[in-house]
Amino acid sequence: MTNLIFCYPYFLDITGWGTYSFCMIELNNATKRYGTLTAVDNVSFSVQAGEYFALLGPNGAGKTTIVKMLLDFARPTSGSLSVNGLPSTQAASRNAVGYLAENCHIPPYLSGWQYLQRCAELLDMSRLDAMRQCGRIVELIGMQGREHTKVSTYSKGMIQRFGLGAALIGNPKLLILDEPTASLDPIGIREIRELLESLKDQGMTIFLNSHLLSEVEKICDNAAIINQGRLLVKDAISALVKDNDTLEDVFVRLVKG
Amino acid sequence: MPKTLPPIIRIAKYTLTDEIRQKSFIIMFAICAIFIFLVRGCYQGNFMVNGQTLDAETVIRVVSKLTFHVIAAGAMLLTALLSMRVFRRDRDEGMQSCVLAKPIARWQYVAGKILGLWVLSVMFMFSLHSVVFIIASINLNAVLPEFLIASLLCFFNLLFVVVAVFLLSLLMSDVFAFLCVLGIGIVGLVADGIYALSHSQMAQAMIGQSGAPSDWTWWKAVYYLWPKLSGAERFASSFIGGEGFPGFGSIYPLINILAYCLILGTLLFWRFRNEDIV
Repeated sequence: MTNLIFCYPYFLDITGWGTYSFCMIELNNATKRYGTLTAVDNVSFSVQAGEYFALLGPNGAGKTTIVKMLLDFARPTSGSLSVNGLPSTQAASRNAVGYLAENCHIPPYLSGWQYLQRCAELLDMSRLDAMRQCGRIVELIGMQGREHTKVSTYSKGMIQRFGLGAALIGNPKLLILDEPTASLDPIGIREIRELLESLKDQGMTIFLNSHLLSEVEKICDNAAIINQGRLLVKDAISALVKDNDTLEDVFVRLVKG
Repeated sequence: MPKTLPPIIRIAKYTLTDEIRQKSFIIMFAICAIFIFLVRGCYQGNFMVNGQTLDAETVIRVVSKLTFHVIAAGAMLLTALLSMRVFRRDRDEGMQSCVLAKPIARWQYVAGKILGLWVLSVMFMFSLHSVVFIIASINLNAVLPEFLIASLLCFFNLLFVVVAVFLLSLLMSDVFAFLCVLGIGIVGLVADGIYALSHSQMAQAMIGQSGAPSDWTWWKAVYYLWPKLSGAERFASSFIGGEGFPGFGSIYPLINILAYCLILGTLLFWRFRNEDIV
């Protein structure tokens, strides 16, 4: 069946995810300036529901600024962004959105469990629902047995796992991940990759901001490459990587011009 | 009936529980507890003024009033100390981005923070005032309800401190924000003092004799327009000691503080709305 593309809020989707594809994220000429520095320059692209999308670029390319604008952490200087079919400036656009920050921080005096519970309660869950969700999440991120110890005793990787767990609370339809595997060891990276793949199979849209091009090549459907705030290319990974090239080769070629 | 709390109340609850863990809160609470323990002894002492022994009731009322002022000022100091790091701590510990990545509007986050800190400082001040109220009532063998009314009126001062420090901490470093609010309080106190002095009989007589200009306009402007923290506290304390309602004219400091809360609160919401979240 032909995939029809509509951009309207996901909650109007009464037909199921398999039939239609909706714009989960849309950037229209988004520009962000900090004084004289243009962090994001007239960027436009969209991410469809159920897509596993990677935003690639060298350090300082404007990837995190785009993520910030999507979550309304920073307002665009011009242009517009929409999430779930709603302007990103509306709090409702963050309904069913999970977010993991690049350098995930958790208050050190809380335990991982307390942190997850707070995140669940902030999503308007009752205490009982929150406890159920947290139990499921702790299992999902493989942190059973450590959830009740203080965060100050956790390693960076463990904090990252709890950060991902917090992003998964409430079964989000869109997951925005900013360098999710940055602090993880190779085993942790593999586990997170498998987890994200299983989430994608469940129909979740994943917006990934990453430097690990080999990981992106393995798991993502589409990618956009930006440099100095400008969008260089946006296409399917299969279309970007041809013949004996790797995504790294394509990335270096495009960024170095 | 909704099963869950609104986000503002939730954020306020988290703010309250997080702040109680802070060292500055624990230290200030301990200092105040020691202070009250020491003040307890003053109620039983014999005091002489101009060779005359003061009666127990006068002693209790004077000591209570003095303690009331010290606690109210101490609570403002503690509130300023706690408020100055709230946004930065939340940012550093990742709670700000965690909350704002949820479908929670920025104004709800700020309102929750204000409410949480205000409730904490109010609880702190009211509990200390209540202890003094109980001690005074036991020693006097009579209940002093006006003491608690006075404490309630001081709640607005604490709201002003929370809002002012929050706003200033978005514009400058935390310590400067604290010092600025401290400065606002001190300037207000000095302005009140100068105004009172200028209206004393001695000062009037001196001005009349020396022929110096009696133009106090500049200080009058400061007196009326500056945030009247000490004025509001004095208005509240005027209830203690059976003086009763001091008249509508003296309600001005309270109106002044409420107006400042409204103006600074609006500026705070506006400023935070345009703030980049790190």
